[in-house]
Amino acid sequence: MAESSGELLQGTLEMLVLKALSLEPMHGWGIGHRIEQMARGAFVVPQGSLYPALQRLINKGWIRSDWRTSENNRRARYYLITRAGTRQLQVETADWERASKAVNAILRVATAEGL
Amino acid sequence: MSVFSHLRERARALFGRDRMEHDLDDEMRFHIERDVEERVRQGTDPVTARRAAVMAVGGVEQQKERVRDARGVGVLENLGADLRFALRALRRDPIFSVAAALVLALGIGAASAVYGIADAVLFASLPYPEPDRIVRVYQKYSNDNMFGLSMVDVMAIAEQQHSFSAFGVMRPGSGSVSAANATPEQRGIGRATSGFFTVLGVTPAAGRLLQPSDETPGAPQVMVLTHAQAVRWFGAPERAVGQAVQVDAVPYTVVGVLPPNVTNLAGWSPAMWAAMPLTPPQRRGPFGIRAFGRLKDGVTMESATRDLGSISERIFPIWKSSFRDSTSRLTPVDLRQAILGAESPRQVGLLAAGVFLVLLVAVANVAMLMLVRISAREPELAVRTALGASRWRLGRLLAGESIVLGAVAAVLGFALAVLILRLAPSFMPTLPRISNVSANARVAVAAAGAGLVSAVVAMISPMLSVLGRPVTSIVADRRVGAGKRTDRMRSVLVATEFGLALPLLFGAGLLFNSFVRLQRVNPGFNPDGTVAVSIGLPLARYQDPAAGLRFWRELESRVRSAAAFSTAGVSSNLPPTDAQDINNFDLKDKPVPPGGNEHLPPWMGASNGYFEALAIPLIEGRLFTPSDTGGNFPVAIVSQSWAKKYYPEGGAVGKQFISGGCTTCPLMTVIGVVGDVKYMGLGSSSDAVYEPLTQYLPSSANLVARVRGSTPSAGSFKALREIVGSMDPQIALVETTLRDEVDRSLDDPRRFATILGSFAFTTVLLASVGIFGLMAYTVRTRRREIGVRMALGAQPGSVVGMIVARGMRYAIAGSVIGIGIALLGGRWLRGFLFGVGSTDPATLALVTITLLTAATLACWFAARRAARIHPVEAIAGN
Repeated sequence: MAESSGELLQGTLEMLVLKALSLEPMHGWGIGHRIEQMARGAFVVPQGSLYPALQRLINKGWIRSDWRTSENNRRARYYLITRAGTRQLQVETADWERASKAVNAILRVATAEGL
Repeated sequence: MSVFSHLRERARALFGRDRMEHDLDDEMRFHIERDVEERVRQGTDPVTARRAAVMAVGGVEQQKERVRDARGVGVLENLGADLRFALRALRRDPIFSVAAALVLALGIGAASAVYGIADAVLFASLPYPEPDRIVRVYQKYSNDNMFGLSMVDVMAIAEQQHSFSAFGVMRPGSGSVSAANATPEQRGIGRATSGFFTVLGVTPAAGRLLQPSDETPGAPQVMVLTHAQAVRWFGAPERAVGQAVQVDAVPYTVVGVLPPNVTNLAGWSPAMWAAMPLTPPQRRGPFGIRAFGRLKDGVTMESATRDLGSISERIFPIWKSSFRDSTSRLTPVDLRQAILGAESPRQVGLLAAGVFLVLLVAVANVAMLMLVRISAREPELAVRTALGASRWRLGRLLAGESIVLGAVAAVLGFALAVLILRLAPSFMPTLPRISNVSANARVAVAAAGAGLVSAVVAMISPMLSVLGRPVTSIVADRRVGAGKRTDRMRSVLVATEFGLALPLLFGAGLLFNSFVRLQRVNPGFNPDGTVAVSIGLPLARYQDPAAGLRFWRELESRVRSAAAFSTAGVSSNLPPTDAQDINNFDLKDKPVPPGGNEHLPPWMGASNGYFEALAIPLIEGRLFTPSDTGGNFPVAIVSQSWAKKYYPEGGAVGKQFISGGCTTCPLMTVIGVVGDVKYMGLGSSSDAVYEPLTQYLPSSANLVARVRGSTPSAGSFKALREIVGSMDPQIALVETTLRDEVDRSLDDPRRFATILGSFAFTTVLLASVGIFGLMAYTVRTRRREIGVRMALGAQPGSVVGMIVARGMRYAIAGSVIGIGIALLGGRWLRGFLFGVGSTDPATLALVTITLLTAATLACWFAARRAARIHPVEAIAGN
């Protein structure tokens, strides 16, 4: 049977980053770690894509960065969600829910007919 | 907000680059450490944890690169980084960088200077309104046989043409001019009709230009001054109008002044323009008038050619008694083409071809240097590759270096071009419009373009060498030297340099050969110790032929009796290039067949003293006697060439001919044959016909005098000025020595031989440096092998021989190709050559030997290092 690929859906990483940052400002490693925690191991954040994604979000003005002292007492770059980012998160969350509802409905129907 | 922060972020990316790079470093380091910490906490050992952390981000450098890409200024920033890196790399290797930049700058400077010359001389449009509609009308026999017009032709065209909206003529001349109390000076005077100015679309700065009423015979004499002359004489153009000017003692009234920027009209720059009276002609000739027309709208060159052609067919038969001419046609020629002539495009073309070869060799040389340098940098490149730089990235580094070199070379080259262009007018004064050259924006663009193209071309082969090779081979090759492919490219480049240098050297060799031959030509007279003054007699006071004759005889005898001179004579032509007059004749016993053309040798009036002063020998017959007074028994002396050409069987003395197509005049009899003298250049034939001054009385002639002692001095001319001044203080002199005249006639061949010679020298030098560089590199990379050979008993001499032989393979291969190019391209030089064929084997052999000798020396210098290699050190160390 098919296995869960553990891969992140294209384009969802940025939404998850915004979600993670809406809870509290975090540094890059922390963001990855937090998303994986929240996903309860359902998937692994591709670390190679994390920092470029953060840079893209900065370019879009949805997050900004700040140098702070980390939990282990070192200088780290923290990312904060901006007001534009919060709005974007709401939009994306709504979109996602609508889309996932639709997809779920389709999948359920398809499964029922297939049975 | 979003847009603003976006822009700010990008600006930071560009301008706050260093800080962002620093931040990125810190962030990555923090991430790795934090990750390691976490993994260790979960029980992994620190070393494994670190490796896993780095692998998880997919390599730190790669990750940084991806973040930079996400910043969106990657390409731009990378370009900046590439250039900065290139600059650093070039600074680390100053000898290479300076050499490469200078070599390129030399090529670029010469090329853009020649472009500047071509732009000013060939391409620039004439400074007249709608210049493409202006034509000059010639009497055309063939493409290189085009004459001016006679008054007959001019008047016929003026009356009958349908093609021109304006038609006008001018005749260059000179005269002794003065204004107010100024001392007379010899200046250029153009005689022009009003139409001449209309055709060119010139308007006056003050007063008026010439008008048709000025041209009627007997009208008051008027003239237009150039701005410079008006300022010189009268202080301001407005003040010149209405003033009196004396030309050859005839009073003229200034009616107008030309604008300051109009110094040259239709290729001639006199100090003033006098009205040309249109006197009805008696015969067809002389042919010194230059005619110009402006094509009507809608009239093409072809229809104008037909129009003028039909006029020729109508009028030439009517005047055939004075000039038998059935093949020539009145023909319009684009004015720019007419001013340029056939010669100057070829001369500029020669410069361009030479300079193109220099630039190519320079580029090949720099490419070669870059290839050698790549091999020397292989350790560095290998490390960069291992650290994750892609081959593409390496290519970009090379491109960066090449572009920086090209840019520096373009700037230096432009500076060189500015210098060359400043010197060009005085170095090549015979090129028309050369005074217009300037180092303008177009030259700068040409230099920049040449820099860019050179940089791109120079980096092609190094680029192929890096991109075309797997990374492992770059690393692996290190120990044994370069890859085969790079090796081959280097050899091809060096061979190319020789293949291009040889044709250039051959061309220069041919020009030098011609020049030497031309210099050895016997001009037919002894130019040393001979001075000449050109004198124009003021027509007003010498209208009576007896007065003119008296003047020349008196002058000759006064000079002969002066202490400073041993002999003196008078002639209307001055050798070797000043044939003021050429004239047609028809032999009584060998007339030109119907449909044929009469011959046109240089023709002059001369005194017996002229032959004596120039040491021209009498070969047959006699010189003039006092009883040769023209009338019913006109006589002529001919040159030996003339006699041999028309009477190869001998017996030219006593033969008779019709002169100037005058069938009603008494026949002229040959009374003597004298030695050959060149009048139309040292490379021309030596036909000449002399008449006594009693028959041919020139209003303008030369007094030629041989000085006592051997060398003319300022005192010689002072003595002549005093003699002429005591006879007529109104007369101005133009002074020269015949040695100067002979030298000046060699100026152009000498210049072009020198220019091409310096081009050739440069390329030979570059090719030698190139092969030296290659062989020095070979010795360096083959140190170990050479050490082994020497350890096994090879003598240093044989090692040197081996290296030299290797290098000479390239030089010879290139030269063989070069010989092929030279033999094919030589024909292109034909018009510049004298007495030497365009495939002259002796010249070819000489230049090949020269080139190969230079190559051998260069190889030997490089190979000497091989002989100094210590076997043990070479094998042990690296």
